[in-house]
Amino acid sequence: MLEEAGFVDVRIGGKVDTFGDAEGEEKARAYEVYGYSFLANKPT
Amino acid sequence: MSQALPVDVDALRDEVREKYREVAVAPNATYHFHTGRAAAARCGYDAAIVDALPDRAVESFAGVANPFALRTLEPGERVVDAGSGAGFDSFVAAHQVGNAGRVVGIDMTAEMLKKSRDTADALGFAQVEFREGFLETMPIEDGWADAVISNGVINLCPDKRAVFDEIRRVLRPGGHLQFADIANGRPVPPEALRDIDLWTG
Repeated sequence: MLEEAGFVDVRIGGKVDTFGDAEGEEKARAYEVYGYSFLANKPT
Repeated sequence: MSQALPVDVDALRDEVREKYREVAVAPNATYHFHTGRAAAARCGYDAAIVDALPDRAVESFAGVANPFALRTLEPGERVVDAGSGAGFDSFVAAHQVGNAGRVVGIDMTAEMLKKSRDTADALGFAQVEFREGFLETMPIEDGWADAVISNGVINLCPDKRAVFDEIRRVLRPGGHLQFADIANGRPVPPEALRDIDLWTG
């Protein structure tokens, strides 16, 4: 979607176990939900 | 091209506001996500920067990863924090851009805006400002920002394409979008997408 919106040079960082040991862990595990860092640029 | 949204936008915004109002006024309550310094450590923030911030600047943090992990902001940059909450990422950004930079946080929750503004005043961060608004229609002029940061907020917006279009509008050519958010490895069924409770919990 980032590229569809016109961004370039898209990068994705490593995953973070955002919900591990939290109340939402069960739902997060059910859909394999993790946190990620993203970087993208607007073209010059 | 417009696409039918899976939920009522106003109803979802009301649910999100209520959830994050709670996080603003009762940061130490139990939520389905981690908050505060524990959340910041889990997300991999620079401990020296976090440790230097007072509790009120960190306690309502509810991010999902680190928007500074792939790029550190440059001194003097102009930054928009899309969905700034109680201001934690804006304060980290202020540390990175320094006194010559500017940081504008955008949020729709009154209690978060008050907390972030009060904390900025207490910390003497003159280069930080918080404005009320939605991510789909941010109160920022075209091409103003060198960088847009965000953390765990875009997933709460049903029309993500509209949000990315708006971020592209406020960025200067060559500007950077650096954000953190959740992504699912297994498909979420349509009935779950229509369940507003699942968007916030």
